[in-house]
Amino acid sequence: MMIGLRLFISSAVFAIAIAIAYWLVAHEIVGTFLLGFMACALIFVAGYMIVAESEANLHGDRDDAKVSDGAGELVGTFTTRSPLPIWTALAVTCIGLGLVISPTLAGLGAIAVLVLGAFYIVQSR
Amino acid sequence: MSAAAAPVAAPPRNDLLGWITSTDHKRIGILYLTTSLGYFFIAGALALVIRTQLAHPNATVVSAHAYAQLFTLHGTAMIFLFVAPFALGLANFLIPLQIGAPDMAFPRLNALSYWLFLFGGLVIFAGAATNEGAAATGWTAYAPLSAIKVSTGLGQDMWIIGVFLVSVATILTSINFITTVFIYRAPGMTMWRIPIFTWEMVATSLLVFMAFPALAADLLLLFVDRHLGGHAFDPAHGGNAILWQHLFWFFGHPEVYVMILPYFGVISEIIPVFSRKPIFGYTGLVISAFAIAGLSMGVWAHHMFTTGAVNNPFFSFVSFLIAVPTGVKFFNWIATMWRGSISFQTPMLFSIGFLMNFLLGGITGVMVASPPIDFQAQDSYFVVAHMHYVLGGGSLFAIFAALFFWWPKMFGVKLYEGLGTWCFWLLFVGFNVTFFPMHLLGLEGMPRRVFTYADQGQLPALNMIATLGSYVMLAGVLVFAWNVVASTLKREPVGADPWRANSLEWWTTSPPPEHNFDTLPAIRSERPVFDAHHPDVAARTPR
Repeated sequence: MMIGLRLFISSAVFAIAIAIAYWLVAHEIVGTFLLGFMACALIFVAGYMIVAESEANLHGDRDDAKVSDGAGELVGTFTTRSPLPIWTALAVTCIGLGLVISPTLAGLGAIAVLVLGAFYIVQSR
Repeated sequence: MSAAAAPVAAPPRNDLLGWITSTDHKRIGILYLTTSLGYFFIAGALALVIRTQLAHPNATVVSAHAYAQLFTLHGTAMIFLFVAPFALGLANFLIPLQIGAPDMAFPRLNALSYWLFLFGGLVIFAGAATNEGAAATGWTAYAPLSAIKVSTGLGQDMWIIGVFLVSVATILTSINFITTVFIYRAPGMTMWRIPIFTWEMVATSLLVFMAFPALAADLLLLFVDRHLGGHAFDPAHGGNAILWQHLFWFFGHPEVYVMILPYFGVISEIIPVFSRKPIFGYTGLVISAFAIAGLSMGVWAHHMFTTGAVNNPFFSFVSFLIAVPTGVKFFNWIATMWRGSISFQTPMLFSIGFLMNFLLGGITGVMVASPPIDFQAQDSYFVVAHMHYVLGGGSLFAIFAALFFWWPKMFGVKLYEGLGTWCFWLLFVGFNVTFFPMHLLGLEGMPRRVFTYADQGQLPALNMIATLGSYVMLAGVLVFAWNVVASTLKREPVGADPWRANSLEWWTTSPPPEHNFDTLPAIRSERPVFDAHHPDVAARTPR
């Protein structure tokens, strides 16, 4: 995790530096804001990793970890099949198309997304 | 994970329902790959119509409006639906295998990303069935050309919706990749031991995370302008048409690297295997990937030199800088081959083709990064040649290298070497015959995106040569398709590691089981499979 954290922090520092350099050289506001927003996004992720993941002790981070160190119940928690993603994508596509073709289609898509959201919660339990 | 930790009880369903409900990263990867190849065939067919129209001056194969739709759909499909998504498919299949994970971090999100990508692409193409046809504003959809007053058709709206869906899918996939690599590495698979391809995908995902939101925002603003009375890009009401270009290229130039960094990873995996040497400069390759990613965020306005609205020296300088880490990569690849025991099998042929074509595209890239040259080359066929050498000669050749290299792992059979060699030479010759003359066309003054041209100078001859080359490329693609059919029908199974390769995906069976690994070797370097097969060499190698 430390390398991931360093990656986001260094990327954020780079983004801040280039935003400042760009403003000083170009005095152009759109580009400066874009670079600034990019820095904010990176700072957000780095901040999240500091707050939520700094205590993580991953076997993948240890040079000398044995394969058996990773054995256990956690490995077997992956979903291998779910009909929800394709229906969700269809519903979202209906919303998008509905915005330019028919408000009814967009409405149906929005309702479907809400229903599917409930299914996601149920399936995750 | 241990040998006893196989997590899946039921065997996977092989019927249609099994595929469309699957959240297995390998199946989603294969769906991505086949879908993006499908879009590639469509986009390639459109390109052939374009080249046929341009074979002779004043030709009337298609009308001007149809031609505008053709190059818009061709560019959109190649960029949004083929080159970048193919890398996502490859990464979907490979990343968990390369880091020793049983699946992606968010399997359902992974499936959702794929279906959004598929439907987004279909929506874009469905625009062609509307009254005024598909979008006809180029893949860049510049405002005010894409404004409702000029582009009145529903096709343009469907283009906006479709590209938006694809961009959301790409962002979701990238978050999935980053999380998977950071969290789900096997014991001992430290970040400095993950394969270069996976590293390149981390850099690519970071780029997507930084750049694609700008595209999504740009599309939303355009939609608001077109349908909800907005004026973001309308100078008559206080808007700014240049804003579209800023937002678009803030995404658009990093997108070029989203389309090339994964393929740098592909080449970095293939060259060591067929040179029988470890990769030269592992750390340098990783650092250069992130240097390219970082610098690419600061070059967007080199596409806007001629607008007069940007600081040309700043963007020119940063654009030149990108050549440095790219040069580091070239040095590493050549040093890996140096004094290696090189075998010229099909993946290696395509990799060397990649190096040659991409080098030319890179050199012309440095040329047009200079504003005085760019002012001459802007919107000419010189730029068309440059971008096709980068994305066609570069990415496309790496895509074929990847297909030939990882095909045995995905499907358990090898593609035929003889047909592979024919495929390579037809594509290599066809590609260069098609696109090299375009440099000369650009220097002769032929503008891009015109549906015909005057019968003067070298234009007819050069255009005819380019068109003939495109049909040679078609022959190469057909040979590849025949190779797929023939090798699938013959079905000669291969073992887990037919290339004697290095990284972890070659440890498991071909194709891998649903849970990926029954056993894992000890991971003590970036070449765990090589170490397991050659413990004597591994013991002597300093870590």
